Order: sequence, then C-alpha cells, then structure tokens
Amino acid sequence: MRVSLTVNGRHRTADDVWEGESLLYVLRERLGLPGSKNACEQGECGSCTVYLDGLPVCACLVAAGQAESREVRTVEGLAGDGRLDPVQEAFTECGAVQCGFCTPGLVVQAHDLLNRTPRPTDAQIREALAGNLCRCTGYEKILDAVRLAATRKAATP
Amino acid sequence: MRPFTYERPADVRSAVAAAAGRPDAAYLGGGTNLVDLMRLGVATPRTLVDVTRISSRAIEETGGGLLIGAGVRNGDLAADPLVRRAQPLLARAVLEGASGQIRNMATVAGNLLQRTRCPYFQDVTKPCNKRLPGSGCPARTGDHRNLAILGHSEHCVATHPSDMAVALAALDALVHVEGPGGARTVPMPGLHRLPGDEPDRDTVLAPGELITAVEVPHLPFAARSRYRKVRDRASFAFAVVSVAAALDVAGGVVRDCRIALGGVAHAPWRAEAAEAALRGAAATPEEFARAADAELARSSPLPRNAFKAPLLRNVLVRTLTDLAEPAGFAESEPVETP
Amino acid sequence: MSGTETRPDRGQSRERGHGPGVGRDLGVGHSAPRPDGTLKVTGEFAYSSDLYLADMVWGATLRGPHPSARIRSVDVGPALAMPGVLAALTCEDVPGELFYGLDRRDQPVLAADRVRYQGEPVAIVAADHPERARRAAAAIVVDYEVTEAVTDPRRAAFDPSCPAVHDGGNVVRHQPVRVGGDFTAPVVVTGEYEVGMQDQAFLGPESGLAVPAEDGGVDLFVATQWLHVDRDQIAPCLGLPPELVRLTLAGVGGAFGAREDLSMQVHACMLALRTGRPVKMVYGRQESFFGHVHRHPARMRYEHGADLDGRLRYVRAEILLDGGAYCSSTPAVVGNAASLGVGPYEVPNVWIDAYGVYTNNPPCGAMRGFGAVQACFAYESQMDRLAEACGLSPVEVRVRNAVSQGSRLATGQVIDSPAPLAGMLRELAAMPLPPEPSRTAGPVAVPPPAGPARAAAATSVPDPAGVRAPGAAATPDLLDLPGGVAQTTHGEGVRRGVGYGVGIKNICFSEGFDDHSTARVRVELLGGEPHVLVRTAAAEVGQGLVTVQEQIARTELGVERVTVAQADTTVGSAGSTSASRQSYVTGGAVRAACRAVRERLAVLRANGETLAETLERAGAVEETRVYRHRPTFPMDPVTGQGDSHAQLALCVHRAVVDVDVELGLVKVVELAAVQDVGRVLNPLALEGQIHGGSAQGLGLALMEEVQVVDGRVLNPSFTDYLIPTILDMPPMRVSVLANPDPHAPYGLRGAGEPPTLSSTPAVAAAVRAATGLRLPRVPIRPHDIAMDGSRYGNWAGDRSL
Repeated sequence: MRVSLTVNGRHRTADDVWEGESLLYVLRERLGLPGSKNACEQGECGSCTVYLDGLPVCACLVAAGQAESREVRTVEGLAGDGRLDPVQEAFTECGAVQCGFCTPGLVVQAHDLLNRTPRPTDAQIREALAGNLCRCTGYEKILDAVRLAATRKAATP
Repeated sequence: MRPFTYERPADVRSAVAAAAGRPDAAYLGGGTNLVDLMRLGVATPRTLVDVTRISSRAIEETGGGLLIGAGVRNGDLAADPLVRRAQPLLARAVLEGASGQIRNMATVAGNLLQRTRCPYFQDVTKPCNKRLPGSGCPARTGDHRNLAILGHSEHCVATHPSDMAVALAALDALVHVEGPGGARTVPMPGLHRLPGDEPDRDTVLAPGELITAVEVPHLPFAARSRYRKVRDRASFAFAVVSVAAALDVAGGVVRDCRIALGGVAHAPWRAEAAEAALRGAAATPEEFARAADAELARSSPLPRNAFKAPLLRNVLVRTLTDLAEPAGFAESEPVETP
Repeated sequence: MSGTETRPDRGQSRERGHGPGVGRDLGVGHSAPRPDGTLKVTGEFAYSSDLYLADMVWGATLRGPHPSARIRSVDVGPALAMPGVLAALTCEDVPGELFYGLDRRDQPVLAADRVRYQGEPVAIVAADHPERARRAAAAIVVDYEVTEAVTDPRRAAFDPSCPAVHDGGNVVRHQPVRVGGDFTAPVVVTGEYEVGMQDQAFLGPESGLAVPAEDGGVDLFVATQWLHVDRDQIAPCLGLPPELVRLTLAGVGGAFGAREDLSMQVHACMLALRTGRPVKMVYGRQESFFGHVHRHPARMRYEHGADLDGRLRYVRAEILLDGGAYCSSTPAVVGNAASLGVGPYEVPNVWIDAYGVYTNNPPCGAMRGFGAVQACFAYESQMDRLAEACGLSPVEVRVRNAVSQGSRLATGQVIDSPAPLAGMLRELAAMPLPPEPSRTAGPVAVPPPAGPARAAAATSVPDPAGVRAPGAAATPDLLDLPGGVAQTTHGEGVRRGVGYGVGIKNICFSEGFDDHSTARVRVELLGGEPHVLVRTAAAEVGQGLVTVQEQIARTELGVERVTVAQADTTVGSAGSTSASRQSYVTGGAVRAACRAVRERLAVLRANGETLAETLERAGAVEETRVYRHRPTFPMDPVTGQGDSHAQLALCVHRAVVDVDVELGLVKVVELAAVQDVGRVLNPLALEGQIHGGSAQGLGLALMEEVQVVDGRVLNPSFTDYLIPTILDMPPMRVSVLANPDPHAPYGLRGAGEPPTLSSTPAVAAAVRAATGLRLPRVPIRPHDIAMDGSRYGNWAGDRSL
C-alpha cells in the first residue's frame, strides 16, 4: 500500500509498504530517517519516540496505515536553522549521552515535557521519562540535562 | 507476522460490516497491544479494521455519569478535568498503566481488550490453551508467579493486565457495543470472562462486536476512592496485585463500598464477598481484614503465587484504612503526562 | 598519599553547561565533550542497525526451540520456494570451520546434529524484505528428537550419571584457591547465596551489514567489542584468510560484555558471499535475548571464620557458575570468581573451589563485572553476617579486614598500588544520610492474618546501623515513598535500611593473556593547521573511549584538533572493550604513539619553528605503537596462586532504602559511592560510568533476571525482563579518589566495572537491614520481602543450593 504523511514538515510518500510494517520501519528503512531507534520494537523502551500529531508515541507500535495523512516529527526534525534544540544541546553538554541509542527517544520525550511543563520538578521529569529506558547512564545526567534545558529555555523566551 | 489486509472504514457502521462474519478480523484501536502481538505471531488476524479515526474521542457528562468514547486515548482520559473531578479513581488507574508514550496511543476500548502477559501465551513456541485451544497450560506447573489466584481453571491461569479495567469494574461501568446484531450494553464486571474451558475467549463480546463507548455512572462517594498497585519496579510494569476501592463511611460505619482487584484473575475481579462483608461494618482495620479474608476465601493460589493472597490482603486493608481515615485522603495530585 | 580528589556530586546549583570547545583545556583531566555527541542527539549517528545500501537484502535466523535435541533433518526447500528469498543455508553450507568460540571453539556456526540450548541457530535465510526473511526462516522444516536437557548446574558438575553436554564432561573449569590450613575460628558464619541470570540489556540490538567484495572477501560493518577477535573467528568459518575479512566498527548501542561473543557476524557474511548482495541482519529484542550470552547465574556456599573482634581467620567457599551450553568466556569468569572470591580483605586461610559448568541453559559469558559480581554478592552478605555475629557495624567489620597497599590477595598476589579501602569506607560512612522518610498514617495498619505468622518483623533487626523507625511526618510527599508515583505506599509499613557493599575488580585481561593494543597516530597539516588523526581498532561502545583518545592526543601533542578514525582492522588489534581496560591499554597505546610522534617532531623541528611550519616543511608524521600492560601469570591449577592480575580496582557503595515491608516495595533513596580511579581522565564521563554501573548493580539487586525454567527462557522482552527506569534510580552521591597506580598510563585505574560489583550487595544489605530478612538471593522481589518468598515459593523453583 501507499502511505503518505508529513514528516518534519515535509510531505512524504512511501510506496509498496507492506501492511505489517510499523511507522518506525517506514521512517527508518523507507524514508531515510533512522534517527528513531529500534531497541525493543515492543513499546517498552521509548527509543523510537516520535511526535504523532503533536503527541509523543512509540513509532514501533504504530502500524504504517495508522500514520496515513498524519503529521510526524522525529528527532531529526528538532534542530532548526543549523542550531540544536536546547534539549539536544543540554544532553551533549551534561554527559547524558553514552552509547546514545536511547537518546533520540529521550530527546523527543523531554522536548515534549518542556513544551508542556517549562519548569518541571524532578518528580515530573522522572514520571515523564519513565517510558524511556537507558542502560548506560543511570539517568543522573539525563536529569541534569533536562534541568539545564529547562533553565535555558526559560531564559530565552 | 501473518499477512493481512488493512481496512480503514469510514464510520462505525461500515467497520462493523467489514468485520461481520469474519472471525479472523480484528479491530485496530491504538495498536499498542495488537501490533506487538501480531509481530510476535500471537495474534494472527487476516483482516485489520482500523477504527482509530472513527472511534469517538469525546468525554461527555450525561445525566447519570460520564460517557467516554471508545477512541479516547488513555493519556487524554487521565488528564481530562471532568474525569479527574468526577472519577479520580479512573484517572489514577489509567496513569498507573504503561508509559506516557503508550498512553498517548492506547485507547479506552483497546485497553479493555488487552491480552494477558502470561509468558506462555506470549511465546508461540510454547503450548497455551488461550492462544491455541487444547494445546495445554504449562503455567499451572511452570511459571505462574504473576498469574491468577482467583477464578482460574485447569485450562488457564492467566490474568487480565489492564489497570483501567479494574477501576471500571469497581465503578459499575457499562460498555457500549455495536455489533452485526445491533447495539447493546455490557456491564462491568461482566465484559471479561473467567477462563473456564474456553480460555481463548477473553470477553463476552461476539465476533464483530465493536466497543463504541464506556459509560461510568455517577458514584456519590467517588471522591473517596483510590487505586493502589504493587509492581516489580517503580513504573511501567504490570500489576503483581492491585486494588481499586471507593468507600462511603458515616459515623465510623461503612455505608457502601466498591472494590475491584487486579492482577489476580482472568478478569478484573469485583470483590463482592469483601463488599458484602463490609457494608454495615465498622470502618476499622480489623473489619477490613475480615472483608479481605472473606474475599480470599474464594481464592485458590498456586504454589508459586501463593504470596499474592497475603499481599493482596495487605494492599486491600491498607487502601481501605486510608480511605476510612477522615484526614487520610491527602492524595497528592497525580503527576500528569498527558 | 597524594591526589585525593573529592567531588561531591550533588551540588544544589550545579551547572556544567560549558559550550563545547571554546577556550577550554580539552586534554586529559577535563570534561571534554564527546565527538559523537551532536550526531547522537540529532539522530544522525550511524548505528549498526541503521546501515543501508541500495541493493541490500535482509538476513534472518531460524533458532531451535528445544534446550536439548537431536536434529534428524533440516529441509530448507519450503523457504527457498517463497518469493523474494535468495538463500537458505544450514551447517552444510558453512564454507570453512564449523565451530567458533572465544576460548574453546565449541560453538557451531549453525547447529549440525544437535541443539544444546533454546534459541540455538539452525539455519539462516536472505530475502528482499525482513518480514519475508523471517517467514522463510519459519518455513524451514526441522525434524528434532528431543533429548534430556541438563538444567541443574549442581548435577552437571557433580553427578557422574548426568549426561554430558559436550564430550569431555560438564566441568569447563574448576579453579581451587588454597592458602594456609587452619580452618578453625571462634566465630563462624555460613551462608548459601544465589545470583540470578542477568542480561546486559544493551539497547542497540545485534546487527550489522556484510558486503561481498570483488576480491572474494567480505567487508563487515558491525557492532562489536573486539574487531580482531571477531575477524579471527569469522575468517576460518568462511574459509577465508583473515586479510579478506575486513571489519569496521559500526555505531554500537551499548555492549556490557554481550558483544564479546559472535552473534550474527558469520551468518551475515555467509549470506553475503552466497547471494553476492549486501546482507543486513538486525535482531529484534526477543531474538537478542537468545542471541547473546548472559551473566552466569551462581550458587555459592560460604563459610567465614573470624576472631571475636571480627578479624577474619579463614574463608571457605564453593562457587558454582552455570555457563550454559557453550564455553564462551566461562574459564576466565571462573578465574575471576576464584581469585577475587574473598573480596578485598586480608584472609590468612582460604579454601575456594570455583566451578564453571556446561548445561543446556542459555550460554553465559561476559557481563560487566565478569565473575567478580557474583562472588561479591556472597562475600559481602557474609561480611554483614559476620558483623552481626561480632556485634560490629557493617563498616567496622570491613575496615578491620580491609586490604591496603602491600596486602596479599588470596592468590598470593601483592597489591602494589594504592588500595585505601579503610579510608574509602570511612569517607562513605561519614557522608550525610538523606532525610528520614515521610509518612502519612499511623503504625502499620494491617492486622495479622489468622494463618501462620509472618516472618521476622522488623523490630528484631540485628544490625544496629541499619534500621531506623520512620521519623515523624515532616512534609509528606507520597512520590518519595516506595511504589513511587503509584502512591502504593503511604508510609504505613515503611522501614528504612542502610547497607554497605565493597568490591574489588581486576582491570585488564588476566592470567597470562597477551593483552595489548595498537595505535597509529598521524600529525599533518589540514587547512594550514596541525591536525592529529588517531587510528585504533578499539571499540567505542558508549563509554567515551573516543573522547579519551582525543584528550590524550591533545595533551601529548599540544594540538587541539584531533580526529579519532572509525575503528577497523586496518590497524593492529586493540583487544576487547571489556575488563575496564581500554583507557588503560588503548589509552596507553595512543599515548605511546603520540610520544613517538613527538620525538620524531623534536628531531625534525628546526629552531624557532612552529609545529605548523615543521609539518609544512617535513610533511606528515605518523607512528604506530603497540602497548602492553605488565605481564600476568596463570593461576596455579591446584593452589590458585599466582600474580594473575595486572591491576585491581576498588569501589564501595552505601545504599539507603525505604522498604514497605507489607507490600514488598523497595525504594532506593540514595546510592553513595567512593571509588579510587587512580587518575581522572574525564570527570563527566567517569561519573557516567559510576552512575551507570551502579544502576546495573541496583537492577541485579531488585529486579533483573532472565527467568529460565527447564532450560527455557520465560521473559525474553523488556516487558518482562525489567531494568531500572528513571523512577527506580535514586540520586547518587559520588566521591572519586585519585591515588595513582604507578604501573598504569597516567596512573589511571579502570573504572567501568567496579561500581557494578558493590552496588548490588549494598542494596541487598539495606533491604535486609530494613526487613530483618536473610534474603540470600538476588534479585530480591516484592514477594521475597512482603511474604517471605522462601515460604511461598520463588518463581525460580524451590531449588536448594
């Protein structure tokens, strides 16, 4: 089947999509956007988190057909004008990135958190990121990064 | 994954028509459970009828309570001011399930129709009466640590995994269904079956029936309610046991109550024996323990999940004690992740 | 002692946000940013599962469902008949050697006449779509004759009537350690302990892309820990000389030991050579659980004898490690468990027997901590029992027995670099404790059941340092209590416990292994400015080795612009990214090559010339150096004696937990750690290693276990194999000591593994302190606490030790 959708502001079409493919597969293997990661493909790790119509979801559990005509924003679409998003910047600076496989999903999920809750408490950060597994960092630096990004975002309206 | 055809009908009526008479058709809601099961080869529909766009996403106040569209996303349900005010138990239970990302995709109807997490059901290389009727139930003698202690049968000891459904079972919800034979409502509890000798049937829905809405009747003492869940890590894990309870206490006596249990049976388990024991009883920990014991008298734990009985007792007594204390209801606001 | 650097890690107004690069020292000792950081936050970093070529096809694996079975026949015909399928191969299609393995070549590329564990590869296929490949694999018909599976490691080790998983018997290695002969003492504590099978649970699944080359060879882009040892196993199986098998490291999504063994490497190459097309293989998560080795589950019996003042007189131990169906690195794991089996304590008399055995359980091999983790849980549990028996605090009993520089290990090896364990423990104990838990309700509300009485109540807890009754309500915040946001606990049954753990880990490969690394460093002018290119075969798996290599080059050569080339096999072996060894060994090689370049430049440089001018005039300068750490020696097969380790590292943990004793819920409130790293190369990256290692130890203590019943894995998913979420991991308080090891480059001490050892026993001890339960097994789960799991049955069976 054909799947047409908007990805990172651009209209994209994928042909010959098999019905059993996920949005994640379509992004990674058909649209050249492998930034969203395939760590568990069961919705348990959050590595494939993308915005679907403005809400972060696990792309691995979205059937390709469900994405038809919808708007998707991936980690590749967060930076603008050659500048990293403050969340991305903070992740690199705070040591929140090690192997980095969880990073794209965490960056999208944290990005969403700060859009909704610009100055989150630690408890809110933890709750918001509880669906994103990281095996390298022990999460401390990730908390640091989200706090820093929040501070920076607040300082630059 | 077995090949299938994908259909996106324009409205509920054509969705039901598309699925009618095709027992191998499945409705696709949020997909968070079904897509996973299809990938594992556990679910093998020949036709997928995508109802994502045609299921109602409205939450309305009716005369007698709330009417929640089948397509309402779990995240929206938990965040809805109406729900949080009128049925905090429901909001709470929904927030205890899964993760923010999953709740953003999962729907009310899909949540009700989740399949079990029994390890034998999830693995197509192992026998399972629920997945392949007649193949046997290795869980009875194998790993049943997370499985049922109430209402199981020799054919199946699976549990229902939903948190939301436990709350709805406590709240006497009505499930609105549209099917080839017309519309009907199914009460909660009552939607989900006990396994008996047909463990492959999770619910009483007939083939082709589609959930269109869930109605939650007004509960005068809804404010005094709580959902408590014990799990193996702090977040994003299925219940080992859970309790949904609402309590109406006046003058130290229980006037009325609603109790449902999760993680202990093939269906969200309405604790009728405990409720009966409580109505008119003193609102004391001793009476709560007696009520818990009355319910647990119906249990038949297996060797490796026997711990669930005393654990459930503890959770239940704790929850009710909390609800009974005049000042004991200082539940902090749920952390929102809509 | 010099160089103590204490850095409290929980500053209130901490702000580490420096812009990368500008005006900062980015050399050794500084938090230089990761060169791959930006690519990783934008999604552009190319992991092994991201690789793509226009004409590539997909590989898939058929795995046997039985823990033990004979294969009567395999029919790939149905697969080949399916549309889009290009190849379906079995063991008969293996071009060269039929077996591979890290230590013994005992693992078939594809099973021939029998399968020895659930999930063993039997056939592989290539097709034009991954789903077609999976379906084709499923269509292959294999006729199995199921045979008796050996699943009890004790029986495998000691019962002569037990079937042999491999010819030659089931004991892969038995390593004794014998010191002294006086096994009497006034105080004796004994215990039996069990460690469940932990999974590395890296996030990036096994994957890679094999590309057939015109010269008849193959280029493999793969996520691995050791390119050369992969190549040296792959090439013989393909029947190719090593130079025709070229490996390039693709982006690695974590490793933790799980990529030390081969997974899809030979399979992808076979399919590529057969089809003439690039072949991509990517495991799903479920397959990943069957596609790599796990941490050896262990059953251990310990007996500690001590004087009345708590000083150890002897330790006797039996450590039984289940290696599963193939050898992998079991011998080395046994060596670690034996040589480090009493921990960092001075013990005059030692009698240890460590065994690694074959069974038909999932194969086990390397995981962060490597044999030392299992023993550490047991000996630290014993130290707590000893403290209890002697009326000492957990800290005091450890201090009294602590090793220091000059002490002898059980192997007779003298610790010849700083080992300030007693001071580390004192510093740890002096750290402030987190505030007492809040509570919202009165005393424990649940009346006792009518049935049998509950196990030990928390009122009779022996450890005086361990238990504090919850304080009066300050500002109750339910989110801080066990059960987290679920608000499962409102403080009624909450008990606080504090526990300590101490671990000692060998750094680098031990027991006489020729452990070396190779670095090629080139300085040249690029765009008119000096630029350094560092090339090694060392695998960056997330830990930050690329950053450290850059830092070393900057410091040694005084050049800020440094590039670390993608690791490949065009340079000599770097050894494995394991045993916490890469900063030491590859760091040492990079330093040596830089210094060689520097010496050449010093000769070339004319008076008053800048570096750029020298390079302009004389051209690029390139040097390659091999670095070896000092030699190690085998353990004596009878006595276990020998200087088997190159370096030893210490880490200590304190865990503070709140336990809801009625609901079995544990919240780790804080983890504190003191670690001596010799020299801090990169503070930010180091903290990340300590946090991450501690988190994996916490996971083992409280939730992580591959559940295996009758040889079958029951939870091969992240839904059912739980690892800590951000809600499970507490804030950490970290103090880093830097007492240099004179034998190591920059005085550094490998840092990645030690925190993984000591956090597990610290958390377990804290839970014991809170509950008064013995809890001899990790992971500790709710039913072990709330209901005394030993009576209600552990899922893992009611196997006695």
